Amino acid sequence: MVVFDEKLLIGKYKEAFLVEGKGKNPVKVLFNLMLNYNLIDGLLTASSKGNNPRLILRSSELEIPERNACFGINSLLKKAVQKYRLSKLAIFGPACTFDGLNKTQYFGIGCNWTKTAIALKVSFLCPGILTERGFQAEVCDIFGKAEHVERFFFKNGKLCYELKSKSEVQIPTDIHHSYTITPCRYCLNLSGKGTDLTCVYLNRKDRTIIIVRSERGFSLLAQVQKKSPLSLTFRRILKEKFTDFFPFLKEKFMLNAADIIERVELGLPVPKWNDNKLRRFYRVLNSIDVNSEEEVF
Amino acid sequence: MLYRNKFTFEENDFKLKIGFFHFSSCSGCQVAFLDMFEEAVEILDTVELVYSNMLTKRRNIPPMDVAFVEGALCIEDPHQLNLIRELNRKSKLIVTVGGCASFGGVRRLSCGNQLPQPNHQSFVPITEVEILKPKVKYSIPGCPPNPALLYSFLLALLEVNEDFLQPFELMSLSTRASGLDIFSEVVNKGFCVGCGTCSTACPVRAISFDANCSKPSFNANLCVHCGSCLAACPQSFKPYPQPTYI
Repeated sequence: MVVFDEKLLIGKYKEAFLVEGKGKNPVKVLFNLMLNYNLIDGLLTASSKGNNPRLILRSSELEIPERNACFGINSLLKKAVQKYRLSKLAIFGPACTFDGLNKTQYFGIGCNWTKTAIALKVSFLCPGILTERGFQAEVCDIFGKAEHVERFFFKNGKLCYELKSKSEVQIPTDIHHSYTITPCRYCLNLSGKGTDLTCVYLNRKDRTIIIVRSERGFSLLAQVQKKSPLSLTFRRILKEKFTDFFPFLKEKFMLNAADIIERVELGLPVPKWNDNKLRRFYRVLNSIDVNSEEEVF
Repeated sequence: MLYRNKFTFEENDFKLKIGFFHFSSCSGCQVAFLDMFEEAVEILDTVELVYSNMLTKRRNIPPMDVAFVEGALCIEDPHQLNLIRELNRKSKLIVTVGGCASFGGVRRLSCGNQLPQPNHQSFVPITEVEILKPKVKYSIPGCPPNPALLYSFLLALLEVNEDFLQPFELMSLSTRASGLDIFSEVVNKGFCVGCGTCSTACPVRAISFDANCSKPSFNANLCVHCGSCLAACPQSFKPYPQPTYI
């Protein structure tokens, strides 16, 4: 029997906090303070709708993606580091952004300057990415009519959307799975392993769970709190309180695992230089001991 | 006397002997090696540069452990053909550096009879030269490769860090490397997440990010076949270790 434990689903972390932003989005407040206090000199992320990558240099321009639709964030890395000479760049996006970034940092292929220019990596807990049409079709499938999705969040272990009409829709995981883009069906790094902080959007806009994974993440949060103690309130939470997103994570992971097994069994093509990327996971399921924490699938 | 891989070292001279061979290329890869600056000093006590057309005065090529090769082989040039034979005789292991030596690079685009080169000339990447194939073990992509990558590679070679070296070993078996591979190997197989890393890695901006379809867009006219895009793609080869935090 396969058990998806916390280590596989969330990865190693130091501490988790429930962060409240006094009526504002805590992630936005966090980046705003970091930019104002010069802890970071730029933020690479996507627009609030998520579709386009954005490089933010001033806090007045600050916007963060509220939908799971972030594409092409890394395409602005060169611009950020070589054109604007940023040396304390923060990046906010889904886990796959950091898969690419960590790989370039590790091997130095193509962009050696990423090694030192990145000050903070913040991911959001990603339920799988959708295109604009994907969103509309998904909402139409569940709600009966297509409507613009404003933001996503996790509530009672389920993925939910807030629509333009301010109504809330609970998204069944299996339906959501069928509308996400193809590579998100094989992703096993939904929680952003390999980053400094992972944010989990919650029902209330002014609340977020921040999972701290690194010393660097800790120290930056501490500096923000020291400089502006009233802007954000941090409350330490235990893993038992992860009920808002953990069941979803488990369910989506199961669906992704099933898709991976199907792909391997059908003998569908796998990436050129790594014939065992998916087969490796197949071996994990067959109880061969592989250190899953060490690798991003 | 110490013996390692049937190769004899003097006890007081236990340094890895490396050489740099130059074929048809712009020498940018060798310059990238020099760009390592202070990092290079750190490894000088374990590495000895025995031959380089730019850095040493030697005319004869001494035996060496590792030969780094830049540039593609020009079949019409007798000097280069001799150099290939020398390379085969004198080196234990060959590492091709950069797009030209590894995958053909811009030399792939040469069709001969061009104005600066009135003779018909043909260029073969070093990885495709049959007599060298048993010795070519690693290929480093890039045009030119990053100094940081070259430093990390040299360090991995000294430490025999197989995890780090494995992707480069797999790259030496690849004969094609262009932005088109991003489409055939990643996008068409349903692995592209649209992160945009390939467009950042491309040194000539042949790959851009198309916001409409959230996928890379490729301009074949600009591609220099250096292999950076596919090597940088998080979906392309071996899973890499995650950063570990203390």
